[in-house]
Amino acid sequence: MILIFGGAYQGKLDYAKANFNLNKICDLSEAAEPDISADCFCNTESYVMNCVKKGVEAKTWFEENEELLRDRIIIVTDVSQGVVPIDKDVRAFREMNGRLMVYLAGKADRVIRVFCGIGKDIK
Amino acid sequence: MNTFISGGCKNGKSFYAQRLARDTAVREGRPLYYIATMIPRDEEDQARIRRHLAEREGWGFETIEQGIDITAILRRAKAGENIDTGGVFLLDSVTAITENEMFPRSLKGGAAEEIGTDAAAPERVRRDMLAFGRAVREAGGSVVFVSDGIYGDGGEYSDSTEEYRKALASVDIALAEDCERVVEIAYGTEEIWKEEDR
Repeated sequence: MILIFGGAYQGKLDYAKANFNLNKICDLSEAAEPDISADCFCNTESYVMNCVKKGVEAKTWFEENEELLRDRIIIVTDVSQGVVPIDKDVRAFREMNGRLMVYLAGKADRVIRVFCGIGKDIK
Repeated sequence: MNTFISGGCKNGKSFYAQRLARDTAVREGRPLYYIATMIPRDEEDQARIRRHLAEREGWGFETIEQGIDITAILRRAKAGENIDTGGVFLLDSVTAITENEMFPRSLKGGAAEEIGTDAAAPERVRRDMLAFGRAVREAGGSVVFVSDGIYGDGGEYSDSTEEYRKALASVDIALAEDCERVVEIAYGTEEIWKEEDR
């Protein structure tokens, strides 16, 4: 598994498209649930927000599909660097997103951070 | 050789950029310019400008005021103003110019008032920044661009702020692609994202 993360609008998906052969991208800001047949998942943080609203833990689905996700690319926006949000759901979202990223980074063979459109391997 | 610098707020980006610009100018024997991008709107801004001026005192910078329309510097040089396009320019910051162009303000009764959003600004700023960087490079000089990393936050912003983040990121990505060096500053330490000889 490859985890690609970075701040908002940093060109993470463009980076993935330019560097990997992606046939099917599952955009989680549009799809309600992850589609296991996709080879790349983007806007994964939107799925996390949906999980917060439903009261389930986001990383559960990824744990359950660990074997199948071995050759997939997962793109997540890093939302961990600002002030603690006032809104309760946004607070929970930020924490759940962090837990998911720690889990994914642990499982991934490669972790790439994207900054201003440039990628760098950090694992 | 042009450099793009970004990173979090109050991490030492400006100091790093000032040193880089000055060292380059001294080494290459070129004039050194500071492009002042802030258009003061109130006393708080005036105080900030005074502080910045004091911080640059003795560094040898000549200040060029240009808060919008960055390529005007090229036209000013061409029109005979004492600006050498082949100099070393410190542009601090890309953030301020993008804001000034996207959210134009007018002075009403002495107070600055926002007069809406200019939707064409992001594309224009991107084009002008690239044109400025390339023109200086062609003349043998260099530009140090300083921007701000405002993309790691989990909070939700108003629509216009979100549009602004998106616009600044697109300018950043274009500059990072065009510059020979890309540096992220994290609490005074440098993380090199790109380094190429040209």
